[in-house]
Amino acid sequence: MRRAPGRDLAERVLGGPVMWAGLGALTLFAVAPFIWVLLASFKTRAELYATPIVYLPASLSVTNYVEAWTSKLTPFSRFFANSLWVSSVTMVATTAISILAGFALARFRFAGRQTFLLIFLATQMFPAVLLIAPLLSQWYALGLIDTYQALIYSNFSFTVPFTVWMLVGYFESIPVELEESAMLDGCNRFGALCRVVLPLAAPGVAATAIFAFVASWSELLFAITFTSQTEMRTLSAGLLYMVGQYEIQWGQLSAGVIISTVPVAILFTYLQRHLIQGLSAGAVKG
Amino acid sequence: MANGATVAAPLARPLLSRRARELMTGYLYLVPVVVVLAGTILFPILKAAHMSLYNHVLIKPQEYRYVGLANYARLLHDGVFWLSLWNSVLWVFGSVSLQFLGGFAAALVLHQSFRGRAVIRTITLLPWIIPGIVVALIWEFIYQPNYGLLNDLLGRMGLMTERVAWLSSPALAMPAVIATNVWRGVPFFAIMLLAGLQAIPTDLYEAARVDGASVVQRFRHITIPMLRPIIVVATATRIVWTFNYADLIFVMTGGGPANATQITSTYTLLQAYSNLDFGYAATLSVALLLIMLAFTMFYLRITRGLESVS
Repeated sequence: MRRAPGRDLAERVLGGPVMWAGLGALTLFAVAPFIWVLLASFKTRAELYATPIVYLPASLSVTNYVEAWTSKLTPFSRFFANSLWVSSVTMVATTAISILAGFALARFRFAGRQTFLLIFLATQMFPAVLLIAPLLSQWYALGLIDTYQALIYSNFSFTVPFTVWMLVGYFESIPVELEESAMLDGCNRFGALCRVVLPLAAPGVAATAIFAFVASWSELLFAITFTSQTEMRTLSAGLLYMVGQYEIQWGQLSAGVIISTVPVAILFTYLQRHLIQGLSAGAVKG
Repeated sequence: MANGATVAAPLARPLLSRRARELMTGYLYLVPVVVVLAGTILFPILKAAHMSLYNHVLIKPQEYRYVGLANYARLLHDGVFWLSLWNSVLWVFGSVSLQFLGGFAAALVLHQSFRGRAVIRTITLLPWIIPGIVVALIWEFIYQPNYGLLNDLLGRMGLMTERVAWLSSPALAMPAVIATNVWRGVPFFAIMLLAGLQAIPTDLYEAARVDGASVVQRFRHITIPMLRPIIVVATATRIVWTFNYADLIFVMTGGGPANATQITSTYTLLQAYSNLDFGYAATLSVALLLIMLAFTMFYLRITRGLESVS
């Protein structure tokens, strides 16, 4: 495509060696820290604290993973289950709420629609730390400290505005005529939403759902503030709790880091394309 | 039978017009979202404003009382608050400018066509999607003074004779946490700008090439102007997120050493989480909120301006 005659020297250098060097540097930049921690998770204690430092573990021992998973002090199996539950419920509830809201905002021209959209955009700019003190006292008053509900409800504060914003865009991209013909055939609005709009918007809905899952999975500040018992901690909170212990066990900690990363990395490879579309669509609208 | 008449009446003239019913359903769909956001955002913000008027330290319930604007007076005289604002400026400026430059370079590279592009794109996005605490721990491990990778590499290259404690040195802690945040944020700019690059019609470049424009000229006169809207939006969003973002610093340094990395959001977090001083934490929250509102209005004005230009 770019091989048309008239490529000058600068262009050939930029498209050849410079691009390949940049690509190599970029990949190294993104991946090297991960590889370092991945290697650490297989190292024995002696290898981790050796001087001069040992780069490669002598064998791929999974001891650190087993110890982290079964540890009584920092039970990663329990943290994993907590994260899975909190993120899944947040995902399902967020998706249901935002489908209704996104659909209404995309289809009904009622008073205050613009204000609503603006509020959804503005709430994405609020810092999570702003909500920590009031939410803590609110959950405390409602007796919800150390419950999954407190974490799930709090997560709505950052998942819902973003997913609504994204879904409005997806629903608007679906021709309204399809619904109208379904309604002429006897569907009501809600029936048209379920039978016509949702199947068409499925990839977008799936992407927003995964976004809600990944965002809840990564959440740290609510998880450490609204829980105090070890068995209620999520993975993020558990990792921080591990750092707070008398001495940092880097072997187990790197295993924990890898355990926390793998699920989101897998989900993200699916999410990537849709999220980028959503982000840039939202961005262009401003 | 009178029944026949009452059945016919609603058909002839419904209680509510079709339009009114439409509106009612529209609002009905919004009930869940309104309830959720009222309970998790709106009410907490009002509650924060209310809490900021009280002396409210969780572990000293006997001292709970209304103090008016005393917390705000304390804020104005709190040297750490003003330091944290200045640190926030350094943190935001350092992080966002380097993320932008790195992300722009990455986007230009990823925009080229080469074998395995999809895989490389996914891999380079990894630092952005993993949990914040994971990023913090990975880099804490790399920065370790005794068995960390960074000191080892610098030592081997002969750039360093003495081991450096990156995160506990007042001069180096801020650059170290900024470098970590840059690692995390480069992919964000890369994908945003990549999306922008892909939206530029190739005819523009072809036409410019026919007219004899060099690579540099094409970059300056086509790429940059066409990307301008997305650059403004991405940068503004990133500034807000970075200003608000507390996780990295909270985990890596806790704002230390001696408040060298204390930004306003971590300071707020520490007041609520470590000191359990809810009154003052709420005051700081209100201050944060006002700063964010001012920035958001500024941002909306800029983006409106952009729309009217294009």
